[in-house]
Amino acid sequence: MIFPNARRILVAFLLSMLLFVTACQPQASSRFDQVQETSSQQKSGQAVANATQGSSFNPFFPAASRGYERVYTQEKKGFAEAKLKKDGKDLALMAISDTRSLPTAAAKFKNTTKQIVGYPAVEIGNTQTAVLVADRYQVKVLSRDASFTASDREALLKQFDYQGLAKLQ
Amino acid sequence: MSKPIQKLVDNLPTNNLTVSMLRSLDFVIPGQWQNVTGFENTIRVVTGETDEGLIQQIGERAIYLYNDRSQGYQRAMWLYQTVDSTDVALGTAALANKIGERVPLLGFLNRLTPKADKAQTIDLSLKLVAELVAFCYINGIPGDSIGDFVASLADYSSESLMRMVALVCVDGLIPLGPDFILKAQSVLNDTNPKELEKNATFQRISDVIPGVTSLNKLLFIGESFDSVKGWMSGLVSSRNLTPQKVVNNLQQTIEVADDKLDYLAAFLDVATNYYEHTGTQTLARRLIERAVAEI
Repeated sequence: MIFPNARRILVAFLLSMLLFVTACQPQASSRFDQVQETSSQQKSGQAVANATQGSSFNPFFPAASRGYERVYTQEKKGFAEAKLKKDGKDLALMAISDTRSLPTAAAKFKNTTKQIVGYPAVEIGNTQTAVLVADRYQVKVLSRDASFTASDREALLKQFDYQGLAKLQ
Repeated sequence: MSKPIQKLVDNLPTNNLTVSMLRSLDFVIPGQWQNVTGFENTIRVVTGETDEGLIQQIGERAIYLYNDRSQGYQRAMWLYQTVDSTDVALGTAALANKIGERVPLLGFLNRLTPKADKAQTIDLSLKLVAELVAFCYINGIPGDSIGDFVASLADYSSESLMRMVALVCVDGLIPLGPDFILKAQSVLNDTNPKELEKNATFQRISDVIPGVTSLNKLLFIGESFDSVKGWMSGLVSSRNLTPQKVVNNLQQTIEVADDKLDYLAAFLDVATNYYEHTGTQTLARRLIERAVAEI
């Protein structure tokens, strides 16, 4: 507090040095630069073309039973998602999405031989199993706890109402 | 054009005053909040996937979703940022942020004025309404669904829960005292639309608050506060929270005298941005959860 002016000058100097030094750093290019450019060319509507409303997917999720809880979390155009919980712990995520928004999502089922209740199915990565219904709707179960295994995912996937979902237009 | 979501998440600080403050509130919800930063890292933490090709696909889809304005994610981000926007012109506070060390409060006192109870109450309830509206934007629920929001508060976890804890502690208990809910409610009842219109935050976010007139909006704010007060008092009583307890924990980060709580509230207001910080984390998590389910 003896030299308030000197201290103020020092702070101003340090701040301007900070600006100067950071401004000189070259911006590293990122693996997401390309998609940032293409995805921001349009203001709105680029992520969800002609998709079914998420609310119409809700009735086709498995009902909660035997101590398991179903909590709906997101409901957007072309997408609905719910959590499967037990004793307050998240075990898995369940989602239905309209692949009209993302045709590559449907393409991955083309060469699969796996089936669940007669529908083409695939396992993806460490945590996901998916089914394609009526060549259009993707139903996915994603493990959110190590105790929830691939066979648990498959068992849960068998409980969706696929006939109802297939009739949805 | 707002900043790309991947940059916002990449730029989240790993250690500054906001992060230290949130860490010192860990005692309220032990182990719930981790300061997850970095876009790719967040994808790994949220999804549990390690395959680089998958991470690329998830990240690309999340970016697409964020950049599509019809999806509402950008509006939610804007709300978190706006409701928290503080006077960063305080050069020393900025330096304190950079250093992330213990900050003695005394040096700031002569530059800060504690807010009146009314301003503090409006600030608290606007943050609450912003949370509600942002929740609806992010999750796709109609913007005035107080009931849906209150129901899902029970399911709040990690950074979302930490944001609400910080709201109760930093914008409720510290500035307004142990009976902050009653106090805020009586102040709200005593507030008229003209006073609300004078509030700078309200001026910026009033368009997204349901209601045509300021009176309608004020009533919506009161209704929202009323619906969440049960949750807030439950948190306070189940954790036995008192202003003193909160301050004792904050003292690990900030040196403050006990009779300067009003100043502490004002200081935290200028020097931290916990709403924006945890809001960015919430938004990234929800985008990534949707993206991984869609690809």
